[in-house]
Amino acid sequence: MKILIIEDEARIARRLQRMTAEFFGSKAHEITVCDSLQKGIQYVASKPLNLLLLDLNLNGDDGFQVLERMVACSFHTIIVSAYTDKAITAFAYGVIDFVPKPFDEDRLFQALKRCITPSIKPEEGIKYLSIKKAGQLRLVGIAELNYIKGAGIYTELHLKNGEKELHDKSLEHLQQLLPANFERIHKSYLVNLELSDKVLVSPGSKYGLLLKSGETLPIGRSKYKELKSKII
Amino acid sequence: MHLLVLLFTLLGQFSLPVVYNEEPITLYTTGDNLAFAAKNLNDKTWSEIRGNTANRVFWSRTHLKLHQTDSSQRPLGLLINSFGAFEVYWDGVLIGKNGKIAINGKEEEPGTESSVFLIPDSLSIAGDHLIALRTTQTAQPSADRRVGFRIFKYSTLLTMPLIAMAYMNLMAGAFLTAAVYYFFLYINSKRRQLTILIFATICLLFFLLLIMEYLKFHVVIPYHYFYTRLEVIGWLTFAIALLVPWYFAIHFHLEKRMWLFGILLLILLVIYVYNHGRYDLTASLYSLAMLMSTFLIVGKAIVRKEKGGFIVFAGLVISGLVGRYIVYDYGLFISFTVIVLCMLYLHSIRASELEQEHQEALALSSRLQLELLKKNIQPHYLRNTLTSMMDWVEESPKDGARFIQELAAEFGVMNDIAEQTLIPITQEIELCKRHLAVMEFRKEINFQWEDSGIDESEMIPPAILHTILENGITHSIPLSGNGITFRLTYIKRPTMRQYLFETLARNRPISENRHGGTGFKYIQARLLESYGQKWTFHSAATATGWLTTINILN
Repeated sequence: MKILIIEDEARIARRLQRMTAEFFGSKAHEITVCDSLQKGIQYVASKPLNLLLLDLNLNGDDGFQVLERMVACSFHTIIVSAYTDKAITAFAYGVIDFVPKPFDEDRLFQALKRCITPSIKPEEGIKYLSIKKAGQLRLVGIAELNYIKGAGIYTELHLKNGEKELHDKSLEHLQQLLPANFERIHKSYLVNLELSDKVLVSPGSKYGLLLKSGETLPIGRSKYKELKSKII
Repeated sequence: MHLLVLLFTLLGQFSLPVVYNEEPITLYTTGDNLAFAAKNLNDKTWSEIRGNTANRVFWSRTHLKLHQTDSSQRPLGLLINSFGAFEVYWDGVLIGKNGKIAINGKEEEPGTESSVFLIPDSLSIAGDHLIALRTTQTAQPSADRRVGFRIFKYSTLLTMPLIAMAYMNLMAGAFLTAAVYYFFLYINSKRRQLTILIFATICLLFFLLLIMEYLKFHVVIPYHYFYTRLEVIGWLTFAIALLVPWYFAIHFHLEKRMWLFGILLLILLVIYVYNHGRYDLTASLYSLAMLMSTFLIVGKAIVRKEKGGFIVFAGLVISGLVGRYIVYDYGLFISFTVIVLCMLYLHSIRASELEQEHQEALALSSRLQLELLKKNIQPHYLRNTLTSMMDWVEESPKDGARFIQELAAEFGVMNDIAEQTLIPITQEIELCKRHLAVMEFRKEINFQWEDSGIDESEMIPPAILHTILENGITHSIPLSGNGITFRLTYIKRPTMRQYLFETLARNRPISENRHGGTGFKYIQARLLESYGQKWTFHSAATATGWLTTINILN
């Protein structure tokens, strides 16, 4: 587990570091602390990462400027901030948790636990997915998503308008962040069930899901029963 | 009101048929003989020029013709404007005296310049009449003033000046009240505005001018002081003519107004010297100079779109027309009054502006007070401090307790200064030190505070150094040895008091322009609140860190 803490207050950074180390305990982990946004951004750009703990106000700089960039990355982001009123916005951008300051061990552990337990969804709904495209960032509204296809370590976002975008987060991470109407119908497909039409059964017990857009996606054998009950 | 006076006067002059139809010629002779009073004396040899009669008695004879008058116009009265002490003979009959003439070695008892006599009804029939004056002019023998006569209904001659004076006194009272009010306003005002003082002075001068003009009706002025009164009136007009343009120049923020003042002064002095003795002409030239220069100033104000410019311009046009077309005695006052009314109007505009500024200042003050209070309870400060505190308490309860003490101390100072607009510099330094103690627990950096040259009696707006300190902490990276030093230096210079606030550290890379942040806005608003425009604020990176300079100008 590679963890980065971006926090400008030495004492708080040390606290985060200590508690995180305690949480992961004997599990292999590596924690890095950066005391400014610039350093943090440089680190993220150059090193692989599994989890980011980010303060929103660092030395007078607004962390929201980098939040979009961070949530477009493959790793989960936990915000640790004094600005509790920013929580809903942070969730809308796709953070896994928002830990308000001051925090104790229990609250931080709760957040860290979310990161390693895909079945626990964030408290507030995500509204956008941030995507990197030709060096630029773009926000895609969740309502624009038709389905998501896993493609190796990346995912392909298939939008209602027929466009296709790549995202750095894994299908598992996205499934955790996205609302419950996004259902895993196959190991490689995450679908917005609200946009699905019906289940098709082909000869040879092959199942497919017909979307309102006209596309048909395969349904995994193990997922069929569960899905059928949800759609009917 | 003025129009009423005017109307009355005009009616007085035109409703009565003129009782004599030609400019009478007055003939003089020096010497004394009661027979000179006779209506039918042959005065062909008498002179039209009086000459210097020294302390001798002289006689004057004036022939005039009366029209037929009806009973409503009678009894007739005779108004004489003349110097000296004299006895008045109408068709040879003594009808009155003005003063006592110097005869038989007795001293003259000077008469007054204007006197009214009753003409007996029996002697006021239509036809030729004779006015003979037996005069001495020993108090001022050289003054050669023409004798003037007017014949009207006697009661009208007596009451007309009283009625005119009643209106003028009404006006004078208004100006006196205004003068007193504005003087008090000036004395009791915190922001002593020069325009208020000038306006009060103009009102007072104008009151005096009115009183002087009509003084002759309630004080008997001996004829040899007649010119003294005119001289005083002249100087009052002079001062008004100088102050009125000056007032407008200041009000409309004219540049180089001292030049204008100088040139106008020069012009007025030239008018005075050149026309000395011609009092009415001098006064109307003064007011012309005043009007012209005021027109220039107001013209410029209109070009620059100053508030009230057009109203004053209109007032000046009215004033100019009145001065041009209405008989001098009234015209001058009416035109001055119009100008003073313009000033009063400007004053009310200015007063409402000040009121608004005051309201805004109050609003600013309470906003700043709120901002100061918020400094310590804003979430970023409070929640970060509490997080650190939690950690200290968990890890090292003793240090945690000290931390809590330090935070309480900072809150204490903040609470003491929260409602002030100026606090002792020592209190501000105390606040900074307390803040550093708190931040040391949070940041785990060795903060050093140094100050030098501090004058403990100096006052400073609250939390402005504290705000600079906060910026310094936020934007600095400690030097080797994990230390940041803050150094405050106070320097008293002849023209200003100077605070130099240095942060000795490495500056963090700037991700966005730091200037004009809310911190700087707070500092500038506080300086504005306490020092108006008399301050400068400068903040910039240096080779050793950061330097902020606050100059409070004298």
